[in-house]
Amino acid sequence: MIELINVYKIYKVGAYEVPALKGINLRIEKGEFVAIIGPSGSGKSTLLYLIGCLDKPTKGSVIIDGQNTSTLNEKQLTELRRDKIGFIFQQYYLIPTLTALENVELPMVFKGIPKVERIERAEELLEMVGLGSKKDRKPNELSGGEQQRVAIARALANNPSILLCDEPTGNLDTKSGRIVMDIIKRLNVEKEVTVVLVTHDLSLKVYADRVVNIRDGVIYAD
Amino acid sequence: MLIELALRNLSRIKVRSILALIGIVIGVMAISSIGIFGESLKNVVLENFKDIANEIIVTPDYTHGYTSIDKRTLEKLERIPYADVIPIKSDSALVSYKDKKTYLTVYGINEKDVKMFELEKGSYKGCLVGSNVAEYLKLRIGSKIEIKGRKFRVGGILKQEARFDINPNFAVILPVKEFDDIFNKKNEYSMVIIKVKSLNDIERVKDYVKKVINRKESKVSVFEMKLIIDRINNIFNKMTLFFMAIAGVSLLVAGISILNIMLMSTMERIKEIGLMRAIGAYRETILKLFLLEALILGLIGSLIGGALSFLGGYAIDMLILKSAKYVFQPTSLLYVFLGISFGIVTALISALYPAWKASRLEPIQALRYE
Repeated sequence: MIELINVYKIYKVGAYEVPALKGINLRIEKGEFVAIIGPSGSGKSTLLYLIGCLDKPTKGSVIIDGQNTSTLNEKQLTELRRDKIGFIFQQYYLIPTLTALENVELPMVFKGIPKVERIERAEELLEMVGLGSKKDRKPNELSGGEQQRVAIARALANNPSILLCDEPTGNLDTKSGRIVMDIIKRLNVEKEVTVVLVTHDLSLKVYADRVVNIRDGVIYAD
Repeated sequence: MLIELALRNLSRIKVRSILALIGIVIGVMAISSIGIFGESLKNVVLENFKDIANEIIVTPDYTHGYTSIDKRTLEKLERIPYADVIPIKSDSALVSYKDKKTYLTVYGINEKDVKMFELEKGSYKGCLVGSNVAEYLKLRIGSKIEIKGRKFRVGGILKQEARFDINPNFAVILPVKEFDDIFNKKNEYSMVIIKVKSLNDIERVKDYVKKVINRKESKVSVFEMKLIIDRINNIFNKMTLFFMAIAGVSLLVAGISILNIMLMSTMERIKEIGLMRAIGAYRETILKLFLLEALILGLIGSLIGGALSFLGGYAIDMLILKSAKYVFQPTSLLYVFLGISFGIVTALISALYPAWKASRLEPIQALRYE
């Protein structure tokens, strides 16, 4: 479960203060598929990064599975991201020097999982996203859709309960985008992974159980 | 996996990595080669003294009014079981040959002991002259020199030699009996050389002299040749270190180039670093990754540099000392190890700042960096 209580995020740009989020209250239940939709600059990505513990709120609390993240130190936040949260970004962010398999292994390397177990799980995940035969390819030898599927496999490596997706189809053609979204939806349905999806693409609404509209740092429709 | 990642990151910027590697190789090679050369130089100098390390020189204690060592003292010294005792008499006299004459030191040394000098020509029989004396007076084997009205046949000419106990080059050495005949110093010795069998016995001899001979008053002073060798050792070691420090500047430059490529890597890989932090890498993991990359560069560069430094040492030795016999010896290895460890440490130190900087990146800022 994810809970945001009166969350503010204010960026300092030189002498100016730019508010990105202004008093967000949001509760996402386990297993929900929530689409956060808003135009660019609405604060939707900021909201996602706060949930993902990549950033800290200026005011208010972000509570993940009953744990108030503002009470955690840097190391505990890192562990929370590693063990409970999977990220999927618009630009995939795969490590270019590593193969698909090794990219999927990486979160498990950080967790200290033994090599044999790591490889077995990574192969299983790549199989699941339909890339079992391309596991030894480097990212530049894969198409955009395939890279994003590797990124999904990587996001699932440590069995997270929450999957955070930042415009996952933003760089993909319609067909690849659909494949990626189908995989995400399937994970949500079959494995009860909580999915928070941030997008400005209204066509993705159909995948969500719930749509949250955000504009100028406030939620105006839920 | 981290090692694998580090290796691939290095091969990603192959040219830069190789340039940095070459820097380390040159730096380590410079340091170690000069270390090897310094050690060789020291050994060449010490070669002249290798026979005297175990010598103790006993002289009369002039500060207490003694101008010679008497027979009783000598007998006491001769009683030391673990040492050879060489009594030496000396005086100076006008020595002439044909129309040339000069004042020289004349030594009276037992025939069995003169073998401590090396012969250039002739034999140890009769009167021996130093090489400078032979040259100045134009002496040959068989020449008859005159000392205090008596004629002596030159039996041998000594090799040019640098010694600290006795300088044979400007001296005439006579058998003790002949010496006594002309100088009338029957039981007076100007010096006693004690050669111990083991260097550990030097302290025992000093102790013996203090307790037995100098018990009532200080009759003799004792000087161990080892002191000179220790000092030469010391000076040369310092000199070698000084030259190595100068060579170390090249390693410093190599270090700066590592700093440079690591800083560039940090900026180029900023999104990767952000990503790794986002998916669960600790700050320390990022720090480790960058240090690992530097360590690999340092290790490879230093090992190559260390191996090549034998070549460098060989070249410098041949160039300056005209001999490479001291290049491959255990102490050279010490300098090679020193160079290698400096190389590795330099690489690590240079990477500290970039690694720290990379590890301090906030994941969100790194990911959003444009």
